[in-house]
Amino acid sequence: MEVFYKYLTLTDPNVRYVVLSIVLLGGVSGAVGSFNFLRKKTLVGETVAHSMLPGVLIAFLLSGVKNPYVLVLGAAISGWLSILLVDAITTHSKIKGDSALAIVLSSFFGFGIVLLTMIQGRYVGNQSGLDHYIFGNAAAMSPEDSVAFAWVSVAVLILVVANYFSLKAIIFNPDYAKSIGISRKRINGLISFITILSISVGIKAVGIVMMSALLIIPPTAARFWTQRFTPLLLISGFFGAVAGWLGAYVSYSQTSMPTGPWTIVAVSVIAFISMLFAPKRGVVYQRWNKLMLKRRINEENLLKTAVQNEVRGKGKLFTRTAISERQFFELKLWKRTIRRLVRKGMVTKVNTGYTLSGKGRRYGAEIDRRHKIWEVYLQRRMQMSVHLVHDEAETMEHFLTPEIEEEILGELGLCSRFNPILEIHELIPDTEVA
Amino acid sequence: MDAFWIIITGFLVASSTGMLGNLLLLRKMSMMGDALSHAVLPGIVVAYLISGSRASVPLFAGAIIMGVLTTFLIQFFSSKGKMQSDAAMGTVFTFLFAIGVILVTKFAGEADIDADCVLHGELAFVPLQTSTFLGLGVPAPVWTLLGLLAFIQLIFWTGYKGWLITSFNPEYARSVGIKTMIWHYTLMAATSVATVVSFESVGAILVIAFLVVPAATAYLITDKLPLMTIIILIHGLVSSTAGYFMSDLLEASISGSIAVMSFVLFVFAFVWSKKKG
Repeated sequence: MEVFYKYLTLTDPNVRYVVLSIVLLGGVSGAVGSFNFLRKKTLVGETVAHSMLPGVLIAFLLSGVKNPYVLVLGAAISGWLSILLVDAITTHSKIKGDSALAIVLSSFFGFGIVLLTMIQGRYVGNQSGLDHYIFGNAAAMSPEDSVAFAWVSVAVLILVVANYFSLKAIIFNPDYAKSIGISRKRINGLISFITILSISVGIKAVGIVMMSALLIIPPTAARFWTQRFTPLLLISGFFGAVAGWLGAYVSYSQTSMPTGPWTIVAVSVIAFISMLFAPKRGVVYQRWNKLMLKRRINEENLLKTAVQNEVRGKGKLFTRTAISERQFFELKLWKRTIRRLVRKGMVTKVNTGYTLSGKGRRYGAEIDRRHKIWEVYLQRRMQMSVHLVHDEAETMEHFLTPEIEEEILGELGLCSRFNPILEIHELIPDTEVA
Repeated sequence: MDAFWIIITGFLVASSTGMLGNLLLLRKMSMMGDALSHAVLPGIVVAYLISGSRASVPLFAGAIIMGVLTTFLIQFFSSKGKMQSDAAMGTVFTFLFAIGVILVTKFAGEADIDADCVLHGELAFVPLQTSTFLGLGVPAPVWTLLGLLAFIQLIFWTGYKGWLITSFNPEYARSVGIKTMIWHYTLMAATSVATVVSFESVGAILVIAFLVVPAATAYLITDKLPLMTIIILIHGLVSSTAGYFMSDLLEASISGSIAVMSFVLFVFAFVWSKKKG
């Protein structure tokens, strides 16, 4: 607890810069990743991140020093080359998108490994720390690094805000964007630029693979909470920042635990929770909704059939066999449905069978009425054959709302008290009913 | 003699993974190879920890389990969780890789494993693990890789028609009642095994170079599957030979050099296919 308090208040100066850097990095890459996510090109980040290894090493070989700015420049150049190469392969050969990504990724990374092993063999001592670019080493973050992250965040923020409208137009409606003269090339270039920028400064802190994960996972998680552009950017950035904060905490409180991987575990957990429990789009909500809908449809079918049987003069008492003649109910399903209806007070048990209560009869009749109205509508307005309308209406009866019903009646020129149960026989031939 | 075994090992890795890469390429899922090569990491580590050695059987089991698990999770996230399919893949494999790296750092002292060896592999160590056969010192990895190559060839040619139909026309395959998911899972499990068998010699991430580049080179030259497999074999032989000499010259990683060389061959094929139009 004391450790947590110390971490929370940032009293330990060693941890201050680490936390600041990683939170900024998480936030920026979360937001930047959203653009690639929305263009359905999330894996570009993976290729760019791997492709930066040779750039870092060549920069080191040329300059002979481990100046972070020089190495970042090298990384950015080779990341940019990798994007150009992927484009060249996809446009000039029959090899398609993701194969091109995989080819460029593996070749650049292989070249990087060649350079790394060469350097390790030659520059003993001086080169140590270069392999941080593969796995990352957040603990080595210095005040200068957090300043660099702050600058990158500001730059990305300015670029995104300045081009906000164009970005949105290109992502959601490229044709429209073209028609109003937004250059697609420029905006795609901008997205690539901010992607490269954030990856090139981030790989030293969290490593190559973790960096691409920071671009992919936060927007994926954020997507479950919103379907609008700006909230997506903000939520995604927020998730990235929170994950960075949590990851840094784990590595602070436990000995020899890496920050990058824990950040990814944290953001993955956020994504899993979002996928399961987010309102509206979460799996649990959707499952529940589906179940409720199924239950409602079964109940409505049962009530409707019972009402129809009454209208046909088959008596008020009904059993599963009687209902199943028109609407088949399996025994298990019947038991469950009838139990719910009894609980709701729509059906009452009478020694050998069941009978509708007043409430249940009204509800069933209403469903039947909607069914008939939809049949009439399909016949008159859609010119559908009488033989086809029944099946269509079987589904629609569960979804017609009173408002739509009123509109349909108005359009058909029927009064709102129109009761098809009494009048339907003149509209639908008996063959259809039977 | 060492050079010979190293080249043979490189060739075996390239030719067996290349066959799988072929199928991945035709199914437009090459990045799945990348995903699997990262995602098997926790499986490798756990297998090491359980068996306490680099013994092959637990390792294969770990690989198959991870491969199937990864495939299943990606499938589940994209169909049930309604994730964008590329995002589902990216989320799953980076998550599993992160778990793997955490396990490696946590247990680095206890098992004979470290992150560098898992990721880069080292072909130079191959000749050190020899066992004598017919008076020849044959390195142990060569046996395993020969087994892998035989296994992959067996899967490939016995299921040839199935691979063809499920790769080129999955809709039709489904409509005539072929269970495309079984083929999909088989390919993914085989890819994971190939990754694990190869990782000791070429490293988990560079496996992707062996998976994709030979197949892509062959695909640029021809469309015919039998011819493609022959080109993949030639490509594997040429790139591992050239890669070995390059690494010798530069004193650099052999597997990295082979990856670079196979990219060079890819560029030749690319230029050639451009000229041909």
